[in-house]
Amino acid sequence: MPRRPTRRRRMLNPQPLTFSPFARSVAQIASIHVDRCQTHKSKDQKGSPLNSKDKGIWKHTLEGKNDLSESSEEEGSGGVVQADFVFFDPKLDDFHGVKILLQTYLDDTQWDLSGFVDLILAQTTVGTVVKIEGDDDNTPFSIVTALNLRRYKDHKCIKELKEFLLKVCLEKDVIKDLRLFMGEQANDVGLLVSQRVVNLPPQLLPPLYDALFDEVSWATEDEPTEELRNFFCFKCYLLVSKIYKHKNANQKNKRNLKRRSASDSGDEIVYIKPEDEIFHKLSLWSFSFPMQTQQVETQELKNYRLMGLVMAVEAAKIPTFRQELQSLIVET
Amino acid sequence: MATRLMFENSCEVGVFSKLTNAFCLVAIGGSESFYSTFEAELADVIPVVKTSIGGNRIIGRLCVGNKNGLLLPHTTTDQELQHLRNSLPDQVVVQRIEERLSALGNCIACNDHVALAHTDLDRETEEIIADVLGVEVFRQTIAGNILVGSYCSFSNRGGLVHPHTSIEDLDELSTLLQVPLVAGTVNRGSEVIGAGLTVNDWTAFCGSDTTATELSVIESVFKLREAQPNAIVDEMRKSLIDSYV
Repeated sequence: MPRRPTRRRRMLNPQPLTFSPFARSVAQIASIHVDRCQTHKSKDQKGSPLNSKDKGIWKHTLEGKNDLSESSEEEGSGGVVQADFVFFDPKLDDFHGVKILLQTYLDDTQWDLSGFVDLILAQTTVGTVVKIEGDDDNTPFSIVTALNLRRYKDHKCIKELKEFLLKVCLEKDVIKDLRLFMGEQANDVGLLVSQRVVNLPPQLLPPLYDALFDEVSWATEDEPTEELRNFFCFKCYLLVSKIYKHKNANQKNKRNLKRRSASDSGDEIVYIKPEDEIFHKLSLWSFSFPMQTQQVETQELKNYRLMGLVMAVEAAKIPTFRQELQSLIVET
Repeated sequence: MATRLMFENSCEVGVFSKLTNAFCLVAIGGSESFYSTFEAELADVIPVVKTSIGGNRIIGRLCVGNKNGLLLPHTTTDQELQHLRNSLPDQVVVQRIEERLSALGNCIACNDHVALAHTDLDRETEEIIADVLGVEVFRQTIAGNILVGSYCSFSNRGGLVHPHTSIEDLDELSTLLQVPLVAGTVNRGSEVIGAGLTVNDWTAFCGSDTTATELSVIESVFKLREAQPNAIVDEMRKSLIDSYV
C-alpha cells in the first residue's frame, strides 16, 4: 500500500505514521465519542414496488444513499477524533476493501473469496458498507449482508463454504441440522455476513443491523420478481463468527446452549463482536471449531484460544435481538 | 505465458516469490500447490529454491536480484545466506548488504542491465548494486512514489508501471530503461505492481484476481506469447559451446 505524503484533512488531527491509508484511518478512530445520533434514513430502492396485495403501494423515498450518519465531537484532548460514518449500498468498487475484511472468514482455507465478495457486492438491495465521509480512499470499515443459500448454491464459493462448515463441524447432533440447512432448507436460510474493523464504534451497530433487517423485509415486497422476493423470506439466519474460548473450559458438547448463564460465558467465552453474545443466546443451535490462523497474543487473552463459531438464529427471534442489542449498546 | 496463482488466499504473488532469468526464490510455508506451480513452469530451466529471509516469508519484497547476482538485507541469517549460496548457480553472486532501507525489493527494481533505485538509498549501496548485479543504477520516482520496486516491474523485454504514471514520465523511464513500458494494473485494479506480479524474460506469475484484460496487457508488454525458455537457453548455448568434437 502506498506511503503517500500525508494529506491534511479538514476534520482529523495529524496522522500517525502507518503503512497504509487504511491503517491510518483505523488508528485514528481509536477513541471516538458519540454525542448525537442522527437516524433519519433513506435507501436507494431498485425496481418498482410491484404489488398484488391489497394494502397498496409502498414507496420508499429515493434520496441519495448516504443519509445515515453518526458524528462525534472533537473534545480538544489528544486521541479523540471526529469522524462521520456513512452507510452505503454495496458497490463493485468496494471489492478490495471488502476482500480484506473477509480475509479470515473461513480460517486459512484456500477458497473462492473473490467470488464470494463479488456475490456480496452484486446484491445491492440487501447489504450495507460503512465508510467514512470525505475519505478519498473509500475504504470500507464494515460490511453487513444476508445471502440466500439456495439462490447462490451453484456458485463455487458457496459450495466451498458448505464443504468447509461440514468439515469443521465435529459435533454429531449439530451436523444433522447443519446438513439440513445446506440442503433441503437452503431456500429459507440466509447467511448473515458481518465483518468490521475491530475498533468500529459500537454505537453504529443498532442502526447497522436495523438497516439490514429492514432491507430484508423491504426486499420481500419490493423486488421485481416473485422468485427474488421469495429469496429474502428467511426463516433462519446462519452466522460464521469468531470467539475466544478459555483453554481450560469444558469442551464437552453442551446440548442446550440457551441455558448457559451469563456468568459462565463471561469467563468461558470472550465475544469479539458484542452482538454475537446476543445471537448465541438466541440461537437455535451452534458449534465452535478451532482456528488455524494465528491469534494476536495479548496479556488479557493469553489463556484463551481463538475459535470459530457457527450459529443458527431463527428469523422470529430477530426483533428480540434488535431490542437487546439496543439496550446492550446504550448501557456500555 | 503468464500464470495466475494464489499464496494462501493472497493474490500478492510478488511478495512471496522472486523470479529472475537464472533462478527463482519461493517463500516457505505456503501450500505445496504454490511451489509446484513454479516448479511446473520452471523446473527444467532454472532452479526453484524455497527460502525465508530473516525468518520472514515476504522474500519478494526483501531481496533484489537478476541473472548476475542476488542482494539480501542485513536481516538475513547466516544459515539462510549459506543455503542460498549453495542452492543458486555459481555465476549468481549472493551478497548481504548493510542498508538502512532493508526492504530491498521495495526500493530497487532491476533487470539484467538497468536498475531503478529509491532516491534515499546509500551511495555505497548504489555502488554495490552496480557491482554485484552488473547494472546501471538510476535514482527515480514512479508517479510520485519513491518505492520504485513496489510500483513497477520490468524485465529485459518490457515493463509495467503504476497506472497513474504520466506520459512524460513514461517516456523518460522508457528511455532510461531501454524497454517499452506500459502503465497498468494487476490483481483487479491494484496499483502495487511489484507485489502482484513477478516476471522474467519468458514467463510471469500474477495473482488470481488478475482480470483477462490485465493478463493480456502483461503478456503483450513483456512479450511472453512468443517467448520460450529454450529460445533463450539456446542463445546462451551458442555462445558457450565453441567447438564440437
